Formats: sequence, C-alpha cells, structure tokens
Amino acid sequence: MLKCRLEREGRGSVVWMVLTLLALLALPVEAAERVEDPTEARVREISSTLRCAVCQNQPIYESNSDLAKDMVSIIREKIQSGESDEAIRAYFHDRYGDYIYLEPTKSGANLILWIAPFAGLLLGGFGLVVAINRWRRGRIDEGVAATGEESPASPSDRRAERPASARDEAMEARLRKEIESFEES
Amino acid sequence: MPVSESLFCLELPPTMFKAFWKIVLVGAIAAILVIFYLGLSNNPRAIPSPLVGKKAQPFDAEPLVGEQRVRLQDYRGQWLVVNFWGSWCVSCVSEHRDLMQLAAISRQRGDFAIVGVDFRDTRQGAETFLKRHGNPGYAHAFDPKQKIAIDWGVYGAPESYIVSPDGKIAHKHTGPIYPGWFEKVLLPIIEGKESVETVVDGGAG
Repeated sequence: MLKCRLEREGRGSVVWMVLTLLALLALPVEAAERVEDPTEARVREISSTLRCAVCQNQPIYESNSDLAKDMVSIIREKIQSGESDEAIRAYFHDRYGDYIYLEPTKSGANLILWIAPFAGLLLGGFGLVVAINRWRRGRIDEGVAATGEESPASPSDRRAERPASARDEAMEARLRKEIESFEES
Repeated sequence: MPVSESLFCLELPPTMFKAFWKIVLVGAIAAILVIFYLGLSNNPRAIPSPLVGKKAQPFDAEPLVGEQRVRLQDYRGQWLVVNFWGSWCVSCVSEHRDLMQLAAISRQRGDFAIVGVDFRDTRQGAETFLKRHGNPGYAHAFDPKQKIAIDWGVYGAPESYIVSPDGKIAHKHTGPIYPGWFEKVLLPIIEGKESVETVVDGGAG
C-alpha cells in the first residue's frame, strides 16, 4: 500500500517537474520571438527617415505603395551586404535628391529652414520687448502729464490735446525722475 | 545702468518709427503672398532629379524578349533614350504611339538609340502589351523588382532619360513623351544647342 502510494506520488512530482522545466524552456522562446531582428530594426530606422515618392508625406516604411516596398527591400539587401546607414541614406539621396529625406539636411540652403523659425521668434520677442517698453513709457508720460493737467476727454486724445508747454513739463519731470533713479543706483 | 535699457531706448521720432513698422509688416505680408502665388504653379508630382549631369548607373539586365542581355555599356558612344514603362501603366499606352514614332526616327537618323526598361511587371503582361500595341523594335530590359528603376531615381511610369554618348544623364522627362518631343527636346540636346545642365523638365501634367 505505502509503496504503491509513494510510487504514485513520485510519478506525479516527476510530471510536475517536467512540466515546470518545459514552461521554463518555453519562456525564452516566447521572449526571443518578440525581440526585433537587428537587421529589421535598422531597416525600420532607415526607412522611417525616407519619404515615399508616391504617397507623399509618408515614410516609405509605412507606405504600402509598390515603390516604397521595393525601396525597403533594397535597404534590407544593402544592410545584409554590410553597408552603413549613412551610405544607404546617401544612395537614395543621390537618386532622389533632398526630396527623399523627411527631415531636411542641416546644410546649405536648407539651413534657412532650421534657423528661420528661431530667428523669427527672436525677432518677434525683440519687437515685443520694444513695444512693451514703449507702452509702459507712454503710461508714465500720461501719468506725469495727468498730474499737471485737468483730466482730458479720452486717453488717446491726451497727447494731441496737451499743449506744447505741458509736454515739455512732462519731459522735464521724466528726466528728473530718470536722473534720480540713476543716482540711486 | 542695465545695457538692455539703453538698447531699447532707440530714440526714433514716433511717426518714423510707426512708418518703419508699417513698411516691414506690409512687406512681409506681400512677400508671403508672392511665395504662395508662386507655389500655386508648382507641380508636387514633378520632383526635380538630382541625376541630371551625373553619370548614368550601369545595368546588365535580362531582356524582355529574346536571349541577349541588355547592357547600358553597349550603348556607349551614342545618344540614348532610356524609357521606363510597365504594362500596368495607363499613360504608357498613350505614350506608346509616340515611342513607335520615335523609334522610326531613330532608325532613319541612326544617331541615337532607344532602350526600354519594363519595371515592376510580369513577362506575360509586358508581352501582351507589346502584342496589343505594337513592338517598337528596340531592346527592353526586364526589371520585375524595379532595381534599375530605383537605381535611376524613377518615381513612376512613364519616365524617360536622355543619356549622352559619354554616359551622362543629360535630361529627365517625367510623364509620357508627346508628338514632336524629338524636335522639341531631344534634337536640341543632341545638336548641343541646350547645355546639359540647364535643361529643366516641364514635368508631368
């Protein structure tokens, strides 16, 4: 009886062990299947930077056109024959020109594309600072002018209605203020 | 005294200052409008070829008909028109009549040759095409995986290249050739009336 039970238990544990081992073996196989082949990774990397000529504004990697598919297979062949990423990109650039790159190159006339937005931003910022300075100065002028005048009709008309002498006074007051603040600092 | 303060206190008379900015603003808007207007006449399908003026890529391909391989180097020393086509291409049908005409001119004059590259095609499809629309008589390279086509920077069909006797690409024509194309485009290049570099294609319509 006892011998029989042991035997049965032993057989059970062996089955469990085998199953567990099989499961362990299965794990890396599953994992390996999910890891992208290094060649394919490079194919994807290169072909994502090249523009499809048929369905424009789509990288050839995502395109379903025949031309794009054949370009991707040419990239694959070139990788397998040991060409560098840059050489492969240059191959297409030589044949299709700047057009083929989704991102323009950072050289020659293309530099304008890269620099112009930032230059524009800087210029705009500069203009804004100048404008704000002018508005603020206008406010101060008006403030100074208002103390020496009866209140005029509307803010926009103030400057025009103010007599020349008042403007000089305002200027003098402002100058005095500036000199004071200059001496303080 | 901070530097920025003196920088921004440019003492321009206010009227001049305003006029200046008005001119800048109006000028900028005008420039943008002009660029937009010029952009309207751009054909997004006509992609300029960087290959004009460069050496043509050699090929050594299976023939579409017959046994003899089609090699670019065999055409060295004469002007050559390389026509990329496929039986799947609709405009190639309308172009075919003009290619037959061009082939007749080529036979008559003997100073230029034509070679066809049938790409992304099946043999059966191409053979049926030639049977139905007529065989112009020159050799065709068979390029099912469009290796030659991509090597030559081809986007679609039909496209034709003019190759000079020393193996350089003198001109790229996108879209079907038309009646009178020989007199208008090819002949001036052969006779050297148009310099290789300045020839710019009108593009496909």
